[in-house]
Amino acid sequence: MISGAIGISYGVITLLVMFSGMPIAFGLGAVAIGFMYFFMPGTALDTVTQNVYEEMASITLLSIPLFILKGAAIGKSPAGKDLYSAMHAWMSKVPGGLGIANVFACALFAAMSGSSPATCSAIGSAGIPEMRMRGYSPGFAAGIIAAGGTLGILLPPSITMILYAVAAEQSLGRLFLAGIGPGMLLVALFAGYSVYRYRKEYALAKTAYAGGGTGGVAKSAMLDDHVYTMAEKVEMLPRVVPFVVLLIGVMVALYGGYATPSETAGLGAILAIILIAVVYKIRTPKQLQPILSSTIRESTMLMFIIGMSLLYSYVMSSLHISQDAAQAVVAMHLPRWVLLAAILGMVIVLGFFLPPVSIILMTAPIILPPLKDVGFDLIWFGVVMTIVMEMGLIHPPVGLNIFVIKNIAPDIPLKDVIWGVMPFLGLMFLAILLMCLFPGIATGLPDLVMGAPK
Amino acid sequence: MSHGFDVGEAGLELHDPETLPVGNPAVARLDRAMKALNRWVMVPCMAAVFLAAAILTYSVAARYFFKIPTEWQDETAIFLLIGATFFSGAFVQSYRGHVGVEAIAELLGPRANRFRMMFVEAVSFAFCAFFAWKSWTLVAEALHEGHRSNSTWGPPLWIPYTLMAVGMTLLTLQLVLELTSRIVNKEAPR
Repeated sequence: MISGAIGISYGVITLLVMFSGMPIAFGLGAVAIGFMYFFMPGTALDTVTQNVYEEMASITLLSIPLFILKGAAIGKSPAGKDLYSAMHAWMSKVPGGLGIANVFACALFAAMSGSSPATCSAIGSAGIPEMRMRGYSPGFAAGIIAAGGTLGILLPPSITMILYAVAAEQSLGRLFLAGIGPGMLLVALFAGYSVYRYRKEYALAKTAYAGGGTGGVAKSAMLDDHVYTMAEKVEMLPRVVPFVVLLIGVMVALYGGYATPSETAGLGAILAIILIAVVYKIRTPKQLQPILSSTIRESTMLMFIIGMSLLYSYVMSSLHISQDAAQAVVAMHLPRWVLLAAILGMVIVLGFFLPPVSIILMTAPIILPPLKDVGFDLIWFGVVMTIVMEMGLIHPPVGLNIFVIKNIAPDIPLKDVIWGVMPFLGLMFLAILLMCLFPGIATGLPDLVMGAPK
Repeated sequence: MSHGFDVGEAGLELHDPETLPVGNPAVARLDRAMKALNRWVMVPCMAAVFLAAAILTYSVAARYFFKIPTEWQDETAIFLLIGATFFSGAFVQSYRGHVGVEAIAELLGPRANRFRMMFVEAVSFAFCAFFAWKSWTLVAEALHEGHRSNSTWGPPLWIPYTLMAVGMTLLTLQLVLELTSRIVNKEAPR
């Protein structure tokens, strides 16, 4: 069992290097090269750079910087605020409409920007103060935004999904489509919950006001109505419609067969830049510079991690570590749902300290063969895995969205934010259960649009 | 976005570029020079990302409106984006933008942390230096044997290899600078 020993030391040394605080990209690369030196023929070291180049020089992977550019263009413009105000005005008649407006605004903005934290920060900075002003409890307001932000990695174009498609050798178009059904399901669950919660808080506020009339209980702002006139509502539209058109246009270009996914990324970025130039007058190079600079910071960091994760998996499979590990898992003959639960549990634990991009690229060669072996659809699993990693964005101790919320609403205690997020974590878990019972939620749409898989 | 580390975009701004203590004038001068170089290199990087997006947009238009076959667009975009990624590696490092797991930093004292950071920087440097060296040998080989990409357009491969080699060399320089300043400025808290 030489390869077993090598495999275990590969894993252990990787963990040690990661916990030393080494930048993830350099750490993975250094471990990979170290093992190449000791256990692979000397010629392997000579081709290491060519290897990394060939893995990275894929137009699918390199669409990531362009999707980030599109997201940064939208995210750094006031589009989020406008989108939010319009949603709010149009939903104001519905009981609990403000909560629903926040969920919808998050979903739309997430689909346009593709970024979870950017969504939290853009919609939340307008939405959280508004909800609190209207008497929503701070924890609930924070929970809606933190959870709404996670929709970003499920709705296309999601970077996590691009990487999954590359790692699992699945069709990107199909995977994007498969995310839409579950995305809608989550939007519906979140919106439904916010209506339920609104009713509860409204009833409480009403009783408190009615019962304590002379006791000095302030009338909750929730009991006041604010009515928007039709004129006000219509006035909101011109600023929002272009972005919705952008969203739909990009989808049509992709699924109408006019553009490849990477061309869609380029097209989306250029259209977004044109839109913010027209709508918000962001058009001089000086104004564009922060957008491009933040795009590069983020995409370079990601592309380095991606390139080195690919090198890491290449070494892992050259040393037969991934194949042996996958075989060992298959040989355990676990019942399929136990296997799924175990793998998702592992993804959650890894999510405590690794970003989703490295989790996908490093674990795919080990976890996908056993899943395929017991008959799970890999497109379906891609969506489930994405939702699980989304949960990682909002569950303590490391949920990034929680810290974004903390940043835009510093006066809400962390405890309230965490408790506010909990019901939404429950809803996401419910969505995963529903997807296990009815896989068609994910696979139905791609089968309908692109035909059943071969 | 999905990867969970894009705090910069979310408004939690990234750290400022590491300001190295002025203890040693030579190191300080090198540091200023490197910062200027990094800022200057960002200009072509930003242009490259924008250009790549424009080229792919043109590719869609060319195919559907003018019925021109597209053959060079994808690869040109790849070269531009590879170039932008590797060239900006040193800039991102100067902002501590290559993320790592920082959980352990809070558990250790300042002395232990100093040694930990030295270890991290030394290994990162060794890796990047090795990678830069092997990139240059790859360039030499591609030039010598005239390697071309195996698409119908077939551009010479020394172009992207050179972009990668220069970028990794810059990154190696950046790491040398960080490591040197940590060793030279013994008392410097970072």
